[in-house]
Amino acid sequence: MTDASEHEIYRAAIRGDRDAFETVIRSFSRNLFAIAYGILQNREEAEDVVQDTFVKAWKSRWRVRDAAKFPAWLSTIARHRARDLARRRRPEPLPEDFESSEAVEFESAGQKADLDGEVRSALAQLPELHRIAVTLRYFEEQDYGTIEQTLGLTNGALRGILGRALGLMRKRLKPVLASIG
Amino acid sequence: MATIHEQIDELLAADLHDELSAAERDGFHAHLVECAECRQAFQEEKNMHKLLNETIADKKADPGFEQRMVSRFRDRVPKRSGLISVVADLLRVRAVQLTAVAALLLALAQMGKMITGESVTPSKRNEYISDIVEADRDKPGASRESGLLSKTDGRSKGADLPAQNPPPPAPAQDKSNTPVEGLRQLPSFVGNTKTKKAEVQDENAVNEKEAPAAQGPSEQATPSPLANRKLVRNATAELEVVSFDESVQKITGFATEEKGYVATTSSEKQANGKLRGEVVVKVLPDNLDRFLQKLRGIGELKNQALTTEDVTKAYFDTESRLKNARLMEQRLIEILKTKSKDVADLLAVEKELGRVREEIETMQGELKLMDSQVAFATMTITLAEKNMNIPAAFLLKEKAQLSLYATEVEKTYNEIKALASPKVQITTAQIDRDNTGRVSARLSLLLAPEESDAVINKVKGMARVENFQVQTERVSQGGDGLGENAKTERDKVELNVTISRDEQEQSLQQTTLRVRTSDVNEKTKQLRTIAEQQNGRIRSSSFSRDPNGREYANVSLRVPMKNYNALMQSLNALGKVENVSVHRDDRPNAQIDEENAPADVSIQVYSQGNIVSEETGIWATLRRTIGQGAAALMWSARMIGVALAFLAPWVLAIAGVSWVMRRVSRARAARKLRAEEEAGPQ
Repeated sequence: MTDASEHEIYRAAIRGDRDAFETVIRSFSRNLFAIAYGILQNREEAEDVVQDTFVKAWKSRWRVRDAAKFPAWLSTIARHRARDLARRRRPEPLPEDFESSEAVEFESAGQKADLDGEVRSALAQLPELHRIAVTLRYFEEQDYGTIEQTLGLTNGALRGILGRALGLMRKRLKPVLASIG
Repeated sequence: MATIHEQIDELLAADLHDELSAAERDGFHAHLVECAECRQAFQEEKNMHKLLNETIADKKADPGFEQRMVSRFRDRVPKRSGLISVVADLLRVRAVQLTAVAALLLALAQMGKMITGESVTPSKRNEYISDIVEADRDKPGASRESGLLSKTDGRSKGADLPAQNPPPPAPAQDKSNTPVEGLRQLPSFVGNTKTKKAEVQDENAVNEKEAPAAQGPSEQATPSPLANRKLVRNATAELEVVSFDESVQKITGFATEEKGYVATTSSEKQANGKLRGEVVVKVLPDNLDRFLQKLRGIGELKNQALTTEDVTKAYFDTESRLKNARLMEQRLIEILKTKSKDVADLLAVEKELGRVREEIETMQGELKLMDSQVAFATMTITLAEKNMNIPAAFLLKEKAQLSLYATEVEKTYNEIKALASPKVQITTAQIDRDNTGRVSARLSLLLAPEESDAVINKVKGMARVENFQVQTERVSQGGDGLGENAKTERDKVELNVTISRDEQEQSLQQTTLRVRTSDVNEKTKQLRTIAEQQNGRIRSSSFSRDPNGREYANVSLRVPMKNYNALMQSLNALGKVENVSVHRDDRPNAQIDEENAPADVSIQVYSQGNIVSEETGIWATLRRTIGQGAAALMWSARMIGVALAFLAPWVLAIAGVSWVMRRVSRARAARKLRAEEEAGPQ
């Protein structure tokens, strides 16, 4: 898809063309899921967030003045929704959730579950944007330019972000990595 | 390769994600060969990349995810019918929103207008009627009766007369609706109420037109109440007509037509020859309105008033008192006839009889008067003739304005005052002296016409005349056209004299020149003697010497024009005359005595001075340079001060605000951190 035809679809969606909007849903739902998952680390919740995001976007689509910024606008809505949800479940904190479930799984699932848990906790300790960048990259394996467009970042910004994110995780997971190696 | 080493995190990730350009990849791999540390990191990163691919990637959305999203979206946002969605979309357009808000505001304003009753047409009538009701309430004695009367009226007329207008809302203070009901038939109501006057003003044309129109049918429809009423109708009118006598004839004609008569006429001749007078006409009350209409054709109606007075009660009171008095009379006569024994009693009865008879006569007279008033309406017409075209006489008014310049203002002023005689009246005389010592005087004289020329010439001879103006005005009396036969009279001449000192006079000619000479002092003295010879006066002089040793003497003097040329000739004797410039003010409007008009001459006598200035040479230059430098330094210091005064408050304010904001954000970050720490260890 060229930029021009993409923009044409965005414009139609903003005007209220449902078919165009469904096309947008198809092409962006995975990205938004990655973003929501990056923040929430929970698939069900992330899926709900993506749902809500599209409904809300449909209702307030007339606020978008520049069609080129439509993807970035969608991802902003998703990030806000996810953040709201994360804040609401604060009383039942995130890491506890993991580790208790990890602890149970540790016994039964063995090595694989252990690695899984280590990676997830290392990911959870990253700043939000870094987390999102990592999930977006590893979920959908898009090139940097597309991800930058989705997140509304400037050209070339993602390289630094991903580099820092992976660097931090690497340092944290050093013992585990050594054991794999 | 320090940069590669420093950016190793970025490059590692980008390499694994295949986002490096060929050149970058070559450099990066070359560095890996050299650097063991980075090689180690590369290995780890590769492992982690694999690990992430294994662990995270299987958390990603399942293949049916998009379809699920779309179908759930369809469930949650059902399709709306075409029209609703179009309207909903339209409402989101900014222009449509603005229009809607404007329309809403307009609607509110219109509603407010309707509620407060600001519309014009219906309210005027209401106001008029409520005024009458108000007036009604002011007379408490009459109000009850009038209420009763109008109630019966309203009932009897209700069937015959369909309401012309919807009934106006009754004022809240009114206890019952009936007076207002009655008021709907305004003229008949006025006729029915006691001691009520309704004045129909000319400017209220609408009401006036309605009055006769509504009166006709109402009178015919209700003959019974009106027949018993005793109404006195009066009218006055003021008209402007061309000819008084002709108008009186016309009025007499109208009066006969309407079965009336001219009671009195009176007229008087006014100063401008116009007639003004009054005609009193008696006509039958029913014909009064028609008569008024006709009257309008005679001339221009200035104003008109119509009054109606109900004298029913007074009439019947008098009538019953008369009846009683008659009975009393009968009784007294009977007493006189039958029971006359005592002379004293007899006398008393006689006396009483006389009193009663006198009373009867008075009352009969009153009744007769009222009858005549009721039988005929009185119309008083004031007639005034319009201004005619031909004036009666002309008056010639002369006004003279004389400005004088005198050497001694006070002396001239006293001389003019001494002219006073019965034919020369001095109306005002004042002499002013302001704080700079300037004197001026002003006199106003009234001169008998035959003396005026002689006196004016005498005054002119007393001092130099600057300006003299005469203004003549012909005033026509009693008309505004041209009268051939009218005689012309000369009125007293008004002469206004102003005297100012000749020093204040503006010179006719100004000359400036320079005289170069070797001895300024000596030549200035000579200049003074020359000026005196030529009848001039030195007005100012000054002397100065500059640092270069040059001397200047500035002398300004004034000579009469006739001596000007001689003075200029003799100046050549003083030295070399330079830079002569002459400026002459011609005053074409004024009569000027040129010979004696003043000419100003400003002369600068100066010497050459030193050839080399004291202000030259290395030291002087140095001194000046340092001085200028110091001045520039001080100036820049001042500018810096000004700039600080401009900026300092803002800098302080911004610093304060940013300090507070930083405190707030730091506190928020700390709180967040604490919350995360609390959550973390578990």
